[in-house]
Amino acid sequence: MKPHSRTTTRNILALGLVAGLALVTGCTKSESDNSAPAQTSSSGDAGKQVAGSGGGKTCAIGDYGADKLDLKNAVVGFSQSEKEANPFRIAETASIKAEASKRGIKLLTANAQSQFSKQISDVQDLIAKGAELLVIAPLNSDGWEPVLRSAQAKKIPIITIDRQINAAPCKDYVSFIGSDFVAQGRRAADQLIEATGGKGEIAILLGAAGNNVTTERTKGFEDRVKAKAPGLKIVFKQTGEFTREKGQSVTEQLIQSKPGIKAIYAENDEMGLGAVNALKGAGKKPGAVKIVTIDGTRNAVQGIADGWISAVIESNPRFGPLAFATLDSFTQGKPVGEDIVIQDSQYTGANAKADLNKAY
Amino acid sequence: MTELALDNRTLPDRSTVVGWLQNYGVYLGLAVLLLFNVFFTDHFVSGENFRTQAVQVSPVLIVALGMALAIGTEGIDLSVGAVMALATSVTSLYLGYGPWLALVAALIGGAVIGLAGGSLIAFVGVQPIVATLALMVGGRGIALVLLPQLKDVRDPAMATLGSGSVAGIPYLALIAAALALIVGFVVRRTTFGRRLLAIGDSRPAAQLAGLPVHRVLITVYVCSGVLAAVAGFLATARLQASDPSSLGNLMELSAITAVVVGGTPLTGGRVRIGGTVAGAVLIQLLTATLIKHDLPSSWTQIAQAVVIVLAVYAARERGKR
Repeated sequence: MKPHSRTTTRNILALGLVAGLALVTGCTKSESDNSAPAQTSSSGDAGKQVAGSGGGKTCAIGDYGADKLDLKNAVVGFSQSEKEANPFRIAETASIKAEASKRGIKLLTANAQSQFSKQISDVQDLIAKGAELLVIAPLNSDGWEPVLRSAQAKKIPIITIDRQINAAPCKDYVSFIGSDFVAQGRRAADQLIEATGGKGEIAILLGAAGNNVTTERTKGFEDRVKAKAPGLKIVFKQTGEFTREKGQSVTEQLIQSKPGIKAIYAENDEMGLGAVNALKGAGKKPGAVKIVTIDGTRNAVQGIADGWISAVIESNPRFGPLAFATLDSFTQGKPVGEDIVIQDSQYTGANAKADLNKAY
Repeated sequence: MTELALDNRTLPDRSTVVGWLQNYGVYLGLAVLLLFNVFFTDHFVSGENFRTQAVQVSPVLIVALGMALAIGTEGIDLSVGAVMALATSVTSLYLGYGPWLALVAALIGGAVIGLAGGSLIAFVGVQPIVATLALMVGGRGIALVLLPQLKDVRDPAMATLGSGSVAGIPYLALIAAALALIVGFVVRRTTFGRRLLAIGDSRPAAQLAGLPVHRVLITVYVCSGVLAAVAGFLATARLQASDPSSLGNLMELSAITAVVVGGTPLTGGRVRIGGTVAGAVLIQLLTATLIKHDLPSSWTQIAQAVVIVLAVYAARERGKR
């Protein structure tokens, strides 16, 4: 081993690493993006954030054991579960921030980057920084004991959004605001029955296994099809793991082994868009296989306008107005629902073009 | 026990059988699976179906080629999935300059990760599994910093690459086949290939023999990074989108499975490229079969596990010889 040749090699290596990194990160130029930026919160559809029919148990400030306060002067902490890397999380965080600034409330935010231990310490940090009210988008349902205890010690009301935690409402936390995933599945079934005329073989692209969103969206859909359209036969049920890539691969297998398939129910938009890719690749015409998806992202709603997707059931990420309205009522001493359902709209051929800007 | 011993005596070529199975078992498995599908899977024998399987297996296969090289040096490269994610991010960021430049940038990204991993392994002496694990975590992190969320790819050339074909053979499959031939040639016929295997056999011996161990190791991991970047670029073209948060997830495991099932021992010193290709196709076909018969996805994982256990068992038998 010649020592000096080794240092030369190392120098070249170091240079290569630096130059490479510079090239990779510097002077980038992506494709021009001709789609308008996603609308985060438009005052026009404020009506949509109104809770669906409540009717469940309510919770008042006295029952919870907190003190009344004026929301305008309060400090609210918001803990987001996942990094804002998908449209749902982006729209959700944006909606909370927008509503806080609209109401002139001081908002502290944290993002757990999909790590549960980080979310626990995030919330404890928010409490330490003086948050008097908490809005939490939980990553997990379990493991919230330490946080709930520190919040209780300071009598801090907690509202969870989009996912529930396993704890007692109105005791450990005030209320949960979320979508009714079973109802989303039912509505998707209705749309698919309409698109197919209620007859033929259909497929389901399931979400990630062991996820409550998957089970509930499947249950709502299957029950509805069984009840309303016995002529529809579910002949294929495979997971696309909520990703476009898996949705595409699985659909490619599907359309080859079952060429007579009439429709596909994708449990989220991304898998639905993967299915569109697969159909395009197989040379199918738009609408030859009907697709119904859930979420309401911009790309999927555009897919309706382009004729590939029949309908998109929205899963509303705009929790801001409803969350702050709930906090407002609660802190004034009015009772609020323990289980609040956020209203989801839907997109079909009739409104896709007009409502494209409402999609997230 | 006595029966077994008797068996050994009456069948003197038992080890030969096991050795044959280890070398060619993957082809046998592939043949069995193909036959099963021909008879029991609707619409299996069609050009369109074979094209689909070929396209779907291509990225895994390309990644597995690099993995086979790393495993041949008694190493491993866990960073390949993250490199695919990085490549897709970089591709998206540079596509404004056109697909060729985007490809070059993606390849450089893959090479940089490979260079970093190879340097850690060669110079610092970090174990390959640890060095590339660090890069696996960090690489995806960088990919997500560069491109925080899924972005559509609209370049028409990318669309052609992803779904087009020439003479009925998809571009993706052609590229994968060409790369397999090149890597196979390199392993079998070049000095570099010989040195790689010598290092895998015994690194100290290779060092004593005066082989440029560091240079070879670094080259191997750079190759693996570049191949993974190619796979990431092709997957982007196929998906018509860059999705760094999910692209390449668990790809390292699929690639290792393909290599191991193909008969390349994890102990290094031997690389079987033909087997790796067959291994990748076997896993792809297994997944496709279970999907086409609409069995739950948990079955796919169990079936893959069975195949891996069988492959490792054959390897163990060989080791005992």
